[in-house]
Amino acid sequence: MLRAARGQQHTLNAKRLWNVVVFSVGGMKLAARTEDVEGVSSWTETIPVPSRTPFVQAMLKRDNHVMPVYDLAARLNRAVQGAPLLCLVARHLEGPMAICIDAAVPSLEAVNPAAIRPNNSEDIESLGLVTIGAQDVVIVALQRLGRLRQDTVSS
Amino acid sequence: MEVASFLVIRLGVNYFALSAAGVRGVLTQEEVSHDEAVTVSGTSYQLVDLSQRLSVVANLSGPERRTVLYSTGRSHGAIGVEQVVGLMEIERKDCVPLPPQFQSDERDWFRGMLLYQDQLVLILNLAWVMGEPSGIVSTPIRQAEQLVKITSAMMGGVC
Repeated sequence: MLRAARGQQHTLNAKRLWNVVVFSVGGMKLAARTEDVEGVSSWTETIPVPSRTPFVQAMLKRDNHVMPVYDLAARLNRAVQGAPLLCLVARHLEGPMAICIDAAVPSLEAVNPAAIRPNNSEDIESLGLVTIGAQDVVIVALQRLGRLRQDTVSS
Repeated sequence: MEVASFLVIRLGVNYFALSAAGVRGVLTQEEVSHDEAVTVSGTSYQLVDLSQRLSVVANLSGPERRTVLYSTGRSHGAIGVEQVVGLMEIERKDCVPLPPQFQSDERDWFRGMLLYQDQLVLILNLAWVMGEPSGIVSTPIRQAEQLVKITSAMMGGVC
């Protein structure tokens, strides 16, 4: 009975943990919820698109589909590092969106939501700040990436 | 099968499609004077600097440079392009809207996009190219997307 209760408690805790993908952009560690990430693959050449939307000025072609590219490195005033660079496909609310990330292979981490603190810096859409290893890492809200910036631009 | 015809042109690294219905002619560099307008068969076509309007880097002094004479019915323009790629026919269902992540002026510049010979081709809004007043009341983006979906479903694409 006790075992069963412990087991249930364990399952409950496991359910409560957030699974995040930890990746880096220009050497800066960032995280995103796994459900917000469609996949990670190698980066390919992008097609520039005349655009005035901040950081959305290119598209990436995969087979017979194209998706917009969000220049997260430019948003963070950084330059992506390493070779070959990787492509993280975000499950944005408006549809899939490609983000170029550093060559460092992303890792998976389980995060206790209770350990997530508010991110007071408003420079990127985030779900909070968490300490992974000894480092504070912003959990990027990939679903609404670009919206904070849009609001700022339009206001 | 409903098809749409386009003239595909290139400016820099970008490919653009102009609805073929409005194309009135294609002139070589030698056939175009350096005046403000080109007059052909009594119609005056105002020069349109498309690369400048789109902020695209283009080499308009190359040997493949052409001037496309275009008419929307309301206005006539002579559009300098780096290269005329060719005429194409595409099923209307293959024209798709610009992804909604593009949220600024470009939504006015392009009616949509398509893939042609493995290239991304942006379908130009010729009314904007010609500088015609849009006459469109500003529509919230969600509402506009809904309209595009409904219209696309009815018409089979955005072209």
